[in-house]
Amino acid sequence: MTVLIGILNGMISGATPILLAALGGAFTYHAGMFNIAMEGMMLAGAFGGVMGSFFLHSWPAGILCAILASLVMALIFILFSVVLRTDEFVTGIALNLFAVGATTYLLRQTFHVKGVFAGPGIVAIPKVAIPLVDRIPLVGQILSGHNLLVYAAVLATLATSYLVFSTRFGLRLRAAGYNAACLDSSGVSTTRIRIHALLLCGVFCGLAGAFLSLGYVTLFAENMSAGRGWISLAAIILVSGNPWGIALISLIFGLFDGLGLLLQGSGIASQFTSMVPYIATLAALYVYSIRKKGRA
Amino acid sequence: MTRKILTGIAGILVALLIGALIMLAEGYRPLATYAALFQFSLFGLSPLATTLKNSVPLILTGLSASIAFASGPVNLGQPGQLAMGALAATLGGLFLHLPAGLEIPLLALLAMAGGALWSGLAALLRIAFAMSEFIVTLMLNMIADFFTAWIIAFPLLDPKAFSPMTRQIDRAGWLGEMGGFSGSVLFMAAAVAMSWFVFRRWRAGYEWRISGQNSLFARLGGCNIDRNFVSVMLFTGALAGLAGGLVVMGGPHRFLKGLGANYAWDGVMIAIVAGSGLIATLLYGLFFSAIQTGSLGMELITDVPSEIAQVLQAVLVLVIVAGREFVRTALDRAEARRQARERAA
Amino acid sequence: MEDLVRLESIVKVYPPVVAVDDVSVSFRRGEIHAVVGENGAGKSTLMKVLYGLVPRDAGRIFLEGEPVNFRGPEEAIARGIGMVHQEILLVREYTVWQNVVLGREPMRALGRMDEAEARRLVGEKIREFQLNLDPDAVVGDISVAARQKVEILKLLYRNVSVLILDEPTAVLAPQEVPQLFAELARLRDNGRTVIFISHRLDEVLALSDRITVMRRGRKIDTVQAAATGKEELARMMVGREVVFSSRRTPRTPGVVVCEIDNLSVRGAGGRERLTGVTLRVRAGEIVGVAGVEGNGQLELVEAIIGLGKPESGSIRVQGRDLTDEPILERRRLISFVPQDRGRMGASLGASIVENAIMTHHRLDSRFTRLAGLLLDLPFARRFAQRVREEFSVSMSSERDPFRSLSGGNQQKVILGRELLLDCPFVLLDQPTRGLDVGSIEYVHQQVLGIRDENRAVLLVSADLEELFLIADRIVVMHRGELVADLPVEQATMEQVGSLMLEGRARAS
Repeated sequence: MTVLIGILNGMISGATPILLAALGGAFTYHAGMFNIAMEGMMLAGAFGGVMGSFFLHSWPAGILCAILASLVMALIFILFSVVLRTDEFVTGIALNLFAVGATTYLLRQTFHVKGVFAGPGIVAIPKVAIPLVDRIPLVGQILSGHNLLVYAAVLATLATSYLVFSTRFGLRLRAAGYNAACLDSSGVSTTRIRIHALLLCGVFCGLAGAFLSLGYVTLFAENMSAGRGWISLAAIILVSGNPWGIALISLIFGLFDGLGLLLQGSGIASQFTSMVPYIATLAALYVYSIRKKGRA
Repeated sequence: MTRKILTGIAGILVALLIGALIMLAEGYRPLATYAALFQFSLFGLSPLATTLKNSVPLILTGLSASIAFASGPVNLGQPGQLAMGALAATLGGLFLHLPAGLEIPLLALLAMAGGALWSGLAALLRIAFAMSEFIVTLMLNMIADFFTAWIIAFPLLDPKAFSPMTRQIDRAGWLGEMGGFSGSVLFMAAAVAMSWFVFRRWRAGYEWRISGQNSLFARLGGCNIDRNFVSVMLFTGALAGLAGGLVVMGGPHRFLKGLGANYAWDGVMIAIVAGSGLIATLLYGLFFSAIQTGSLGMELITDVPSEIAQVLQAVLVLVIVAGREFVRTALDRAEARRQARERAA
Repeated sequence: MEDLVRLESIVKVYPPVVAVDDVSVSFRRGEIHAVVGENGAGKSTLMKVLYGLVPRDAGRIFLEGEPVNFRGPEEAIARGIGMVHQEILLVREYTVWQNVVLGREPMRALGRMDEAEARRLVGEKIREFQLNLDPDAVVGDISVAARQKVEILKLLYRNVSVLILDEPTAVLAPQEVPQLFAELARLRDNGRTVIFISHRLDEVLALSDRITVMRRGRKIDTVQAAATGKEELARMMVGREVVFSSRRTPRTPGVVVCEIDNLSVRGAGGRERLTGVTLRVRAGEIVGVAGVEGNGQLELVEAIIGLGKPESGSIRVQGRDLTDEPILERRRLISFVPQDRGRMGASLGASIVENAIMTHHRLDSRFTRLAGLLLDLPFARRFAQRVREEFSVSMSSERDPFRSLSGGNQQKVILGRELLLDCPFVLLDQPTRGLDVGSIEYVHQQVLGIRDENRAVLLVSADLEELFLIADRIVVMHRGELVADLPVEQATMEQVGSLMLEGRARAS
C-alpha cells in the first residue's frame, strides 16, 4: 500500500513540470506557432529559480526570478521569430542551445562549480498540507502534502482551459491558429496575440523550471531539464492542445518517470530505468499515429 | 550567392561584436581575447591541424543535418547516431584484429552502419506507423545516450579505468597522423566530397532535393517519396555515425563517457546557420571549430573561460539566421523604393 | 455625387515588377464601380493598397476629402472600408456568428464574450439585408456562396460604407450570380459603395455603374457602363483586337484511350466524394469537366493520377489497368498539368532545368548515365532549351530559379514538360487559371494542337467559357456524381449551369 501511495505521489511530482510546460506550450500551439523552445525556457527558469532563492534568501523570490529568466528566453524568441520573422523551428533550436550554454557558463561564473550547484543556501519551495483533507486515510496522503507548485499546476490547468475556451482572448487565440490571415483581416493583430501566447508560455515554463530546481530537488544541474521540454511538446501534439488531455498525459509520463525510479531499486541498471519515459513517449506516439491513420 | 556571403560575413562580425560586449561586461579584454582565440586555432601548422581535426565531427554531423533538412526528413538524431556509430567502431576495434590497412576502413564502415541503423529505426517507424521522425529521433537520442552509458559501465567496462569507459581498441584501428594532420581529416574530406557528389550529381540526390523543396510535386512527378525518405535517413545517419567512429579512432581510441557530447548538437546548429547548404556547412564547421579550439588555448593566456565559446556560438547562430531574413526584407524594400522613385521621376 | 474615396498617383513595386504604375481613380458614394483587367493587371494590388494590406511606395489616398494612411486592415475597417478577398478568409471551424463578430466581440465581465448578444446582433443584420444564413451553422459545412455572404455580413456588421469584392463570381455557379448581384444592388441603393474587381466582362457590364480598366499596372480609362460594350472593354484590357469565337474544328474521335468505370472515392471523414463515375475519353477529343469547385473534380483528378486510393471502380489507359499502380507507372501513359502551379506543378525554388526534367528523369534513359545513377546534366540543359524553343518560353538562363519566370511562362514550362512526355492521355486541371489573356490563348492553342495529334485530353475547368470554346464534349460534376455527358454542340451555358448547381437541367 505504501508502495502504491509512493508511486502515485511520485507520479504527481513527475507530472508537474511537464504539465506546466505543456500548458504554456498549449497557448502557442493554439496560436498556430511551432514552439519547441519550452526546453530552453524551463532550463532558464530552473537556473533563475536557484539564483533568486540563493541570493534573495526566499522561495517566492526564487519563483519570481525563475519566471523572469524564462520570460527573457521568451522575449528572445519573440524578437527573432515574431519581429524578425526568423523560422520558428530554427529559433527554437538555437534558443535551447543558447539556454544550455548560457546556464552552464553562468553556473560556473557565479558559483564556481561545474556540473551541479547544491548549496545549503537555496531555499526550497515548501510542501503544503491541506487541512481536513490530510486527515482522510490513504486518499489524503495522495491529495495533500504536495509541493505548492503542484497545486499551482492544477489551478493552471483550470485557468488555461478557461482562457482558451471561454474568453475573447481564447477565441482570437484559436483563430490565430486556424486562420491567421482571417484574424488579421478582422482587425486583430495576430502578431500581438502570438506575443501574448509566448509570454504566457514563458510564465508557465518559468514555474516548471522553478519546480525542477526548488521543488523536486533543491539544486541546479547542467541541462537539468533533461528533455522534459520535448516530452511536453509531444503531450501537446498528442491531445491537440486540450488542457485536460495534457494533464492526463502528464500524469502518465509522471507515472513512468516514477516507475523508472522505482525500478532502480530492483537491480535493473539505472540507465535502462532512465530510458523509460522516452520509450513511453515513443509508445504514446505510436498509439497516436495509429489512431490518426485509422481515422483518415 | 553574393548575398549569402555578405550575410555570413556581416553576421560573423556582428556576433563577434556582441561577444566583445559580453566580454567587456564581464571585465575581460576583447581584442586580446580574440587574438589569443585565433592564435590558438589558425596561426600555425599545429593549431591549424588541431582545428581541422576538431572540425571533423562538427562538419560530418552538420552535413548529416543539412542533407536531411534539405531533403525533407527532420533528422535530429545526430547525437544518438554519433553515439551508436562510435559504439559500433569500438566494438569492432575491441573484437576484430586485422592489419591496419583493413581494420581502419572496416571500423569506419561499422561506424557508418551503426549510425545508419539508428536513423533507419526512426525511418522505419515513420514509414510503417506514421510516427513523426522529429520526435522519434529526439527520443532515440536519449535512449542511445543511456544505452551506451550502460554498455561502457557494465559489459565493456575497462576494469583498470577509474570512470566508465571501455578498454582501448586494437592498435590497428588507431588513426595516425600524416605530416601533423590527423587521418580523420582524410575520411572527412572523402565524406564531404562523396556527399556533394551524391546530392548534386546523382539522380537520387536530385529527387532528394526536389522532395525537400516540394514533396507533393516530387510525388506527382513519380518520385517514390517513402523510399527516398528511408535512403536520406540512412545516408545521413551513416554520416553522423562516421563522425562518432572517427572520434573514437582518432582520439581517445575508446568509448568514454561524454564522447559525442556537444558535437552533434553543434552540427545541427551549423547546418541551420549554413541554411542547409553543403559548402556553407563545411565553411561554418571550420569556423566553429576554430572558435572552440581557440577558446581552450585562450583560457590559458587570458582569464576568459572556455564556455564563452558556447555563448558566442549561440549568438552567432541567432544573429546570422535572423540576419538572413532581415537582410532579404531590407534589400527588397530598398529595391522597391528605388523603382518607385524611378517611376515618379 | 461627390467622391467618397480618391486614389492619387499610387505606385507599388514588387521588384522587379511594377504592379501598380501611377494610378489615379476615384469612387463615389452609392455606386457600383468595377475595376477590370486581365490577370496581372494590378487590380487586386491596387485594392490591397487602399485597404492597407500592402504599403504603397508612392501616391496618396483621400477619404471624404481627407488624406488617410491605413497601416493595416483594422484602420481601414475603422474608417468604413472593407474587403472580401478572392480566397474566402473565414475560420472554418467556427460558426457563422463567431466568424462575424471575431475582432469586435460584445463582452461580459472577466473577459468572457456575450454570446447571446452576439447571436442577436448577427441575426438582426441577416434579416436587415435578407442574407438567408443560419448564425449557428459551422462555416466549414455551408456552401461556398453562403461563405461569401458571411464575409459580406462581417463587413456589414462593422458598418462599412465601402465594400471591395475581389473576383466574387469566380467561386459561384452561373445561377448563383444573380442573387449576389441583387444583394450588391441593394447595398448600393442603401447608399454604400461597392468596388467590384473582375475580369468577366458580361457580368461587369450587367452590374456596374462605372468601369475602370487597368492594363499592366496602368489605368487605361474610367467609363460609364451604359456607354460601352464588351469589345471596347476587351480592347482596352488587352490592347489589341480580341477574338471571341471558337477556333475548334470538329473531328471524329478515334479509339477509346481512357476508361473510367464506376469510380468511387471516400474522402477524409468518411464522406463519399466521388460516386460511381463512368467516363470515356477518346483519341483526338477534348472532354471538358464542368462543375462548381468542390463537387468531386479534385478527387477525380487525384484518383486518376494516383494520389488517392479509390474505394471501388477502375481506371484504364490504353487498355492497361492503372487502378492499383503507383504514380510513376501511370506517368508512362498520363501527362498531367495540375491545378496549382506552385503547390503541385513545380518547385519554385529549384532551377528551370530541374523543373523541366521531372518525370523524364525516371522514364527516359537519355537523362541519366551509369544505369540511372548519375544525371546527364548537359542533356538536361539541352532539353530545357528545347522546351524553351518549342513552347516560346521567355527566360534568361535555364539555371535561373523557376520563380523568376512570370506565371504564363511557368505554365508554358510545365506544359512543355508534360506534353514532351508523349503520353497518349493528357490530364489538365485549370490550366489557364491566373494567366494573362496572351498566355491563355497560347495554352488553348497547344491543347487544340495535341488533340489534333490524336491524343486524348481530359480538361477540368471552372471557366465555362473556356470549356465551350475548346471542348468537344462536356461532362458535369455535381456532388461527386457525373450528371451529364453531352457533345458541346448540344449544350447551352444555362443548361450546364443548371446542371452544375442542381444536378439536373431545368425544364426551359
